[in-house]
Order: sequence, then C-alpha cells, then structure tokens
Amino acid sequence: MKNLQIFWIVSICFMTSCSNPSKTVPSIGFLDIAEDATLAKARTGFLDALAKNGFSEKDKTLKVYFSNAQGEIAVLNQACDYLISKNVKLIAANSTLSTIAAVQHTKEIPVCMMVAPRPDLAGLTDAQGNYPKNLFGVFETLAYIDSSVALIKRFFPNAINVGTIYNSSEPQSRDALEELQKAAAASGMKIIALPVTNSSETQLVTQSLIAKKPDVFFALPDNVIFASFETVVKACNEAQLPVFTSEAGLVGRGAIASYGADFYQWGFQAGVEAANYLKSNTALIPKPELVQVRQYVFNSKAAARFNLVAPNGFIVINTP
Amino acid sequence: MEVIIPAIIQGLCYAAMAFGIYLTLRIFNIPDITTDGSYTLGGAVTAILISNDLPPAAVLPIVLVAGALAGIATGIIHTQLKLHPLLAGILVMTSLYSINLFIMGRPNIPLINEANIFNENMSYNMLLALVFSIVLLLLLCWLLKTDFGIAMRATGSNELMVKAMGINTNFMKVAGLAIANALTALSGYMMVQYQGFADINMGIGIVIAGLAAVILGESFAVFFKSTSILSSLITVLLGSVLFRLLLAFALLAGVPPQMLKLLTAILVLLAAGVFKFVFKPAQ
Repeated sequence: MKNLQIFWIVSICFMTSCSNPSKTVPSIGFLDIAEDATLAKARTGFLDALAKNGFSEKDKTLKVYFSNAQGEIAVLNQACDYLISKNVKLIAANSTLSTIAAVQHTKEIPVCMMVAPRPDLAGLTDAQGNYPKNLFGVFETLAYIDSSVALIKRFFPNAINVGTIYNSSEPQSRDALEELQKAAAASGMKIIALPVTNSSETQLVTQSLIAKKPDVFFALPDNVIFASFETVVKACNEAQLPVFTSEAGLVGRGAIASYGADFYQWGFQAGVEAANYLKSNTALIPKPELVQVRQYVFNSKAAARFNLVAPNGFIVINTP
Repeated sequence: MEVIIPAIIQGLCYAAMAFGIYLTLRIFNIPDITTDGSYTLGGAVTAILISNDLPPAAVLPIVLVAGALAGIATGIIHTQLKLHPLLAGILVMTSLYSINLFIMGRPNIPLINEANIFNENMSYNMLLALVFSIVLLLLLCWLLKTDFGIAMRATGSNELMVKAMGINTNFMKVAGLAIANALTALSGYMMVQYQGFADINMGIGIVIAGLAAVILGESFAVFFKSTSILSSLITVLLGSVLFRLLLAFALLAGVPPQMLKLLTAILVLLAAGVFKFVFKPAQ
C-alpha cells in the first residue's frame, strides 16, 4: 500500500511539473555570471525594454528563468544546461563569460549578448571570421577609448601621465588597456598601468599607483573596478587625483566625467532586439549590433574639487 | 534530461580531480590547495595547445606533465623547505595564477571549431567520460597496490615506521603530490574541452568541490562491506557525480539565484545525512 501511495504522489508531482498552465507565454532564460551592481543595471534595462514591448512577468506575458553562476565557472556550465532544459525561446547572456558559455552550450537557442565586446574581440569567431549563427544582441567595440582620452585632454590639457588599474583576468579589460595605450601615445600621454585580479587588492594597487605620481586616473570599466570603485575614488580624492572613466554609472559613484556606454541603456537596447525577435515569431535570428547610446556624463560635485565646470553637451549629475 | 546527463558527464570529468584530492587528503593527510591552480593549469595548457592545432591526444601527456610539475613544486616546498603543506599549496596556487595567464596570453580562450574529444552527441560524451574515469580508476587502483603504492600509503599512515624501513618518505610525498596534481590537470583538460573555453578563473573554488566529492562519497561507503582501495575509489567517483547532480537539482528547484549556494549546501547535507543514518549498517 505504502508503495502505491508513493507511486501516486510521484506521478502527480510529475504530471503537474509537465503540464504547462500558460502555453502561449514565451519563456526566456537570463544567464548571469555573478552578482554585480553594474551587470544588474544591464539586466534591469533588458527587462524594462521587454516590458515596454509587451513582454513582462508582472502581466504574465513572459516567463523569465533567472540563472546566476555566483562567480563559479563550474556552476555556469550547469546553469546554462538548466536554461536549455527549460526550452526557452532565447538566452539573454549578461557579460562576456556568460555569452561564451551560452554559445558553446547551444547551437540552436538564440543567445542575446550584452555587456560583452564584439564577437571577434571575445574570440568567438572562427578562422573565416564568422560569429556563431545563433548569436545576436548588443556589443561594444573599443572605439570609445579614443574619445575617453580626448576627454582627459579637454579637462586637463597638461596631463602627461595617466594612471590606470586593469583586471588582468578579464579579456575586455586587457583589450581596452592596449587600446588606451595606443590612444594615449597618439595624443602625447603615457599610461602607467598596474594589474589587479581581485577587488580585495584594489586598495593596495591604487596606493602603489598613486605613489607613481600620475596626473590623472582613468578607470577602465571592468568587474574589479565596479566592485571596488569607492576605494579608488577615496584614495584618489585624498591624493587630489582627478578620476575619469568610460562608464556613466561610475560617474555617479564619484568619477568626474565619462564618455561611453551606459549599462542600463546597453541592456535596454539588447532587450529591444530580443523583444523584436520574440514578436517576429520567426526562426530568423537577428544580427549582433553595436551599442548605440554613448553619453558624456559629468559629476559637478566631484568636479568642484578641481574647479571644473560642466561643458555643453554633458549630462550633469550631482552624486554621491 | 538536458540538465541531469550533462551533470553526470561533468561529475565524471571532475572525478580525476576528486581522485587526486583523495590521494592527498586520505592517503597523505595533506590538504592540498594546489588544486585550484593545477586545474586551471591543465585547462590553460589544453586551450593554448589545441588552439594552436595540436591534436587532443598529443596534448594529454603534456597536460599530465604540467600538472605533475605543479605538484612537485608544492612537494619540494613542503618537504625541503619544511613549510606547512597548506602554505606550500597556497604559494604554488597563487603563482600558478600568473603562470596560467602567461601560458594563455589572455584571460579567456574560447575553442571555436577546434579539435575536441567531445562532440555534440550527449550519449557519446557520456560514454567517453565514463570510459576515461573508469580507466583512470583501475590504473590508480593498480598503482596503489604495487610496492610503490603500498610504500606511499604507508608513508601516509605511519611516517616514522616507513622511514625506519629505509624508504625515502619525502620522495613518496613529492611523488604523491605530483600524481594528484597531474590528475587534477587532467580534469582541467577534460572540462575545457567539454565547456568549450578556458578561463583564468575556472579553478576558483574547485578544490572545495573536490573535497565535497571525496567526503560525500565516503558517506555511502556503508554500501560496501570492505574498505579496500577499489571500493574507496568507487565511492570517490560516485561522490563526484553526486555532487554535480545535487547542484543540478538545486538549479532545477528554480529558487532565486542568490539562494543557489545555500540550497546546494542543504542538499549535500541531506544526502550525506541520509546515507549516514538511514542506511546505517547493522552493528
């Protein structure tokens, strides 16, 4: 008898898990590599864009399976398998590593990338230069770096030495550094770069960098900087060192000015592309596109320290 | 099924590392932290050689040698400089981070359209991983039963006695660490090909997974009447697969992502508890 009971319980569980009460609602997977404030902004942008286009979990017009690898690559593989098993219409991959893992795990389900570099910069193209057929979404090139260097010159025409710390374990950070060195050399500046691999090292590395007496600090937008930017700002403020960056969110956290992609907008753009794909209801996967919204952002509070005023064309904020 | 089968395959891929941890932890009583570095080392060597068009079969021995060298480094620091094995492991693991970055030349190498021991066919992958791990299990079982293996095990259980018998215990420890880390690098070799990319951070926290697999495996040693080497190795293999399966179940449960690790821990706790108390052998 007892066995029979168990049999019924198991089969009922099985049946309820199989029956999908809302068959018409499209489902998507969202793959994150780690808990991160900046990646969260892209995620919010992505979901907002979907909601604006009529796909929202609140109105029960979309089912989103969230998966976060919590910083472990072994978990990332399994998190990816989990999303594939849910037969999602598309996988939204937030960050480079999520994108790489997703396109390596599935050749059929479309992968919508965001907060990742152009496929060839991420090493995702084959020998002929073709990116995976199921890859779309929004990427960034390194073109914004040139404008960022020009930004420094605009505020500090006499700056020669630009200090920066970069994450030696992150592909886009290294690529950005190389580009930064080229751009700086072209405009007669020198880059002093120190590597960092973990946010616990930021304090020490920033102090060592300040000891090398750079004229300005340029924050490359990578995961370590995002995780520990307050430490950088504090140390630089104490040393009267102006901080520039290329990500708008970091200006809100104490940098003077930035030129570059806004991560919320980045996610939003990817969300619009994903929504259009869901609406089209075809098997035709869109193409990856370049990030559209790059903005000049200026922090009047941080700039007051150096008696700088916002030029025209800058979005002015006043935090923290 | 799309979650369960890959979880088993990954469990089998990590089995080599679990064997390595079993060797250091259970045979030598050394908690070897080198694992985090040598796993990535195996992956880094694999990725850079395969992307330079070397066939995977030729890469395999190079990976084993690289892993063994890492183990030898830890062993020599421990036995010759008399440092605590934990510190020796931490030092080698830390330096391997830079060495791995140097080997790869960049933090991440995707293997797109490169030669690969795995392919799209899930059952083939499963079979391959199974054959790999069983061959490894039998080889290791044989090794531990040779005179050399017995001397190695004796070194772990009673170092003074073994020394009195004229065996160089330092050599035994270095050899054991070399074998263990070669096995760990082998896991890196397999996982990089399975997941299709190598990343500098792929080893972070991997030693924890290996330790969990070994100890989880031991909790169902009650099914085996004997405590032979063979049955111990089988429980390690099962532990490695079970750990990945539990993680898969945690994902399938659909809890909020931030609860994932807590749920994994609870599942491992439950599994260990069930085996320890529900299937308690009659005394």
